[in-house]
Amino acid sequence: MDITFTNVSYIYQRNTPFAHQAIKDLNFHIPSGSFVAIVGHTGSGKSTLLQHLNGLVTPSEGEVKIGEYKLTPKEKPTNLKELRSRVGVVFQYPEHQLFEETVAKDIAFGPENFGVPKETINERIKRVIPAVGLSEDMLERSPFDLSGGQMRRVAIAGVLAINPDVLVLDEPTAGLDPRGQKEIMEMFNTMHKEQGLTTILVTHSMEDALKYADHVIILNKGTKYMEGSPEEVFTQKDALKQVQLDVPEVIQLLNAFEDKFSISIPFHGQTVQEIAETIHSIVKDGVSNE
Amino acid sequence: MSRKLIEFRDVSFRYGEEQPWVLRNCSFEIYEGEWVAIIGHNGSGKSTIAKLINGLLFPQKGEILIDGQQVNEETIWDIRKEVGMVFQNPDNQFVGTTVQDDVAFGMENRGTPREEMVTRIEETLSAVGMEDYRFTEPHRLSGGQKQRVAIASVLAISPKVLILDEATAMLDPKGRTEIMRTVSNVQNKEDLSLITITHDLQEVVQADRVIVMNKGEIWDRATPREIFSKKDSLREIGLDVPFVAILADELKETGINLTKEPLNHEELLEDLWILHSQT
Repeated sequence: MDITFTNVSYIYQRNTPFAHQAIKDLNFHIPSGSFVAIVGHTGSGKSTLLQHLNGLVTPSEGEVKIGEYKLTPKEKPTNLKELRSRVGVVFQYPEHQLFEETVAKDIAFGPENFGVPKETINERIKRVIPAVGLSEDMLERSPFDLSGGQMRRVAIAGVLAINPDVLVLDEPTAGLDPRGQKEIMEMFNTMHKEQGLTTILVTHSMEDALKYADHVIILNKGTKYMEGSPEEVFTQKDALKQVQLDVPEVIQLLNAFEDKFSISIPFHGQTVQEIAETIHSIVKDGVSNE
Repeated sequence: MSRKLIEFRDVSFRYGEEQPWVLRNCSFEIYEGEWVAIIGHNGSGKSTIAKLINGLLFPQKGEILIDGQQVNEETIWDIRKEVGMVFQNPDNQFVGTTVQDDVAFGMENRGTPREEMVTRIEETLSAVGMEDYRFTEPHRLSGGQKQRVAIASVLAISPKVLILDEATAMLDPKGRTEIMRTVSNVQNKEDLSLITITHDLQEVVQADRVIVMNKGEIWDRATPREIFSKKDSLREIGLDVPFVAILADELKETGINLTKEPLNHEELLEDLWILHSQT
């Protein structure tokens, strides 16, 4: 589903002394099927933006369109539940939301609420369990007897079981160990490709944004600061530094290399091996092989 | 060699009779003034070590000595004066209604005289760069600021050991940098031993020594440089290696001979620069 924000503003506790504008005149368009990273430091409006995507909040000004659903200050779609069954949101630390007696029941909770027939739910459980890297023998166990990483996977399986078209991920790897982080991101990436999802990843990790996203939106003070392909955005070191963001480490290194050798190696998505070869030819022959 | 501050002698731990061992036959020492990073996959036993050090848990086998004193039911109150801990979630460790009340809490429990408390509050808050926030309510602080106050509260009781148990895991990149800068300043000034339990590679390379845990056992202990030269085996046990180490390996593949395993960009570039000047 295409997602479009037109002049969107959001003000918390409007018309009170505590009013706080979290989003200001925000415009962007996410075409169906893309993998978008939304990056910004704490307080930049990422979470508020995310809550618009399945109608948890409606804009104070402007218009949000998600596929055929429209959110404006005056109207919420009458079929809000339907929107929520098509936009799956994995919140931060989703394992805190587990509550059922068994893993199977917890995963079934979402689709049951959307009125999915029991047989279909069981089929979906069979499909999502291996997709998140769990095994079927866990289905009858209590989710609270699992490790933190496994609990996170159960929570994610619950979102996947509603069969969303849009998957919204709010820092899905926070607090996991490096292997867990990598496995979870690879899993989302595979699903994104295989199921033709539209994926929106809110992250602090420039490395993940560079590796997985095809489009990056940088937020600052509630509004869009930059957007473009990861290569376009992440090579603008000074602009990013202004909003207290770092560039991915590979680009940091290439910048430091240029400072020392006065030869620039432009980044355009090379592998580490290709970069090593370029550095090799500069160090040995004084010229770049590119 | 400086004094042994923490000593684990053949320590094993499990949560119950029927449960699997979480730690198996662990022996290691941590010295005064040393910075040790403990790394390992989730469930490798890292946090259990931290909880054993200040007597939140007791081992079934082996013994643990803190500054020569064995950790047991009788000594834990003395030991907790020596060992301060900061945990992962900044929202779970506040008790005071203002920043200074929070820093005072630990001292109140220990019956510190008021005059001393006032000076300690000033000293520790300025050590973590939070002196302007004495009267602020904790919930108005950012995650990084909260963790800095948590560190100040621990420092106020003048411990010999500071343990950070994934204290930066829930922070944004800016918060992480704040904490690591604070911690290394404090460590330089106060002559503390520092134990950081972490997944963050930038924290690991700053340490003097690294203990690598795997499935409840000590898998390796060495300097960060030695540890990160074992890239393949680190990956096998589910750990990451820094980008600079990966690039160094690729450079070696192309036939570049680096003089040492680089820990940061400067070291790698300096090495390359020397090679470049020679050709």
